[in-house]
Amino acid sequence: MKSRAALLHGLGQEWQIQDVEVDPPKAGEVIVEWKAAGLCHSDEHLITGDMVPPEEAWPLMGIEEFWPVIGGHEGAGVIAEVGPGVTSVAVGDHVSASFVPSCGKCRYCSTGRQNLCDAGAGAFLKGMSTDGTTRHHLADGSGDPMLFAKLGTFSQYSCVSVDQVIKVDTDLPLEAVALVSCGVATGWGSATNRAAVATGDTVVVVGIGGIGINAVQGAAMAGARQVIAVDPVEFKREKAMEFGATQTFTSMEEAFPAVMEMTEGMMADKVIMTPGVMYGDLMALGTQLAGKGGTIVVTGVAPITQTESSVNLFELAMWNKEIKGTIFGSLNPRADIPKLLNLYRDGQLKLDELITSRYTLDEINTGYQAMRDGENIRGVVVHG
Amino acid sequence: MKTKAAILWERNTPWSVEEIELDPPKAGEVLVKLAASGMCHSDEHLVTGDLAGATPEPPLIGGHEGAGVVMEVGDGVFSLQPGDHVVFGFVPACGRCPSCADGHSNLCDMGSLTATGLQITDGTSRHHVGGKDLTLGIGNLGTFAYHTVVNEASCIKIDPDLPLDKACLLGCGVVTGWGSAVYAADVQPGDTVAVVGVGGIGANAVQGAKLAGARVIAAIDPVEFKREKAMEFGATHSHSSVEEALGALAETTWDRGFDKVIMTTGVGNGDVLGEAFHLGGKRSKIVVTNIHPTAEQSIAIPAVFLTVFEKQLIGSLFGSGNPRKDIPRLLELYTQGQLDLDGLVTRTYSLDEINQGYADMNDGKNIRGVLIYD
Repeated sequence: MKSRAALLHGLGQEWQIQDVEVDPPKAGEVIVEWKAAGLCHSDEHLITGDMVPPEEAWPLMGIEEFWPVIGGHEGAGVIAEVGPGVTSVAVGDHVSASFVPSCGKCRYCSTGRQNLCDAGAGAFLKGMSTDGTTRHHLADGSGDPMLFAKLGTFSQYSCVSVDQVIKVDTDLPLEAVALVSCGVATGWGSATNRAAVATGDTVVVVGIGGIGINAVQGAAMAGARQVIAVDPVEFKREKAMEFGATQTFTSMEEAFPAVMEMTEGMMADKVIMTPGVMYGDLMALGTQLAGKGGTIVVTGVAPITQTESSVNLFELAMWNKEIKGTIFGSLNPRADIPKLLNLYRDGQLKLDELITSRYTLDEINTGYQAMRDGENIRGVVVHG
Repeated sequence: MKTKAAILWERNTPWSVEEIELDPPKAGEVLVKLAASGMCHSDEHLVTGDLAGATPEPPLIGGHEGAGVVMEVGDGVFSLQPGDHVVFGFVPACGRCPSCADGHSNLCDMGSLTATGLQITDGTSRHHVGGKDLTLGIGNLGTFAYHTVVNEASCIKIDPDLPLDKACLLGCGVVTGWGSAVYAADVQPGDTVAVVGVGGIGANAVQGAKLAGARVIAAIDPVEFKREKAMEFGATHSHSSVEEALGALAETTWDRGFDKVIMTTGVGNGDVLGEAFHLGGKRSKIVVTNIHPTAEQSIAIPAVFLTVFEKQLIGSLFGSGNPRKDIPRLLELYTQGQLDLDGLVTRTYSLDEINQGYADMNDGKNIRGVLIYD
């Protein structure tokens, strides 16, 4: 079938809207008609190169050619077609995308860590996770694109593995479902699960975008006494207050003496790092904001080739601090996407308020410029 | 010195408010002028004898939920001085025994020495009437009095700007209920929680579950007033009985059963626990906070579900909290508006009205009654 999609053809380029031919689904695959896709910063990391493996590493990773890429890994849609043997979803079902697959059978899935599912290997390869062949072809015959996170939600239709769709109730607005599929779960889980924010905790969230705002929301929901949001953009600091922050600061430098005062010198119990780009030098103050026995969760995506970060290892040891990485907020897509949507339905999780602007697929470059300019908490592409 | 105290001379008789003789504090002890005392159900257990064998024999001075101001300290007391404001932990926290060192001060080894009702330090009494020694009820505290002498380990220093008539509740009921949800049940954001019995403990279990981010909090109590109060404290559903709650599992938990069940009835009962056990889902934690009579020897649970659903039956004392951390921490949450203490106090009484206070509790009129000492 024919589809229109937003593609990138190389570093530093703009999104191009192109026609794509999508093959019918094979065994274990489905065609999803995407209705909504979030403009997540991770797609921007493709443009900047933060999330593009260096060319010399391609052979090692089995990559012949990285470009072009259909973007989008945060989305929700409707099942349009199912391949042979697919029983977990049917045509017409509403689904959330899941940028981390969950096969349900590997070592990680079977030990409650679906966010680390082995089917996530080969994420940068063009072939399907099912049989390694491609289903998507540029209509002009110039080649086959890779789908970002094997989802490509910036396409009207795409063919994806059943491991990457989570069935959701049909009464839920698909825009809300789309947001939960990546940014909301990642931010919320960074606070509630990976940082394990406890009642009465002091929590600092560094960087208030689509992830950080949900870390704020998660920390508040987990009963934190103080949720301190750090962001240079005034609009984002204001948003943070709406989502449960108790104080805001423009920088970690500004926050540091204030956190010291408000905690009587004990500093924060949990620090959650959710900047747009996780540069290593941010860790110097990031770790110092945490007190004795404190936890620093690193959620933001760092440049893929960055190998150093500024951590005072003397303090790390003497004060028994811990630094933890997280993907997808260390949640389990199949349990936690429906759980978060239940909280939304009950009015306990804000989703609608996350959406700053909506765009058509053709306006996607405008949407990303708005993100770069700090105008959006979350922009959403609504497929026409 | 002379002071006034409520004495229980024999089981199943009213509290008698009388003048007593109070000795000065010995080494390791502290004289405190009380400002207020909560009227907890556990003191009623002293009257009925539910806790016979585990608590002191009458004649005794009741009360274990108190706050006041230090007047005098005995030799060797370095952590407190006259003028300090303190809340009593109903379990002492010595800070040195294996339980304290492990982070479980609620199980401080000194607690075993409180069962006699005599001073922890030397096993004698500081409280006398007509030449006769009095024991102290739960926790060796004797807060149903204008003054008392207690061990330093029972005193948690608090900021002097906090209201003592609310802070006294932190000595037992609030931390016990709140911690039952937050620590013992380990309520997580998005959990479904059932609280069975909404008195001074259960109301705080509801508050704790709410603050910890529970999605559904079902409060179960036969008294309408208490169910209404539970909704004010954050419950999302209320039921008049466990049976009714079992019938509503489809609505509250999609028939999966609750993630956490917290037992906070006035008196624990093996049959009620057995029924409530069915409220829990797979891997649920069922927390037993309420006091079962010491003589009760069995509970009616189908033990197969401990295995096949991995249900966990968990006991909890003082909400599994640590007095020295949690009393100040919960007072911080109170000042920040994240913990409601004011709404817990239904009525206040003078010491002379203590029997009226307990009659009101038994009639289901109070979430918490508080004695105020002028």
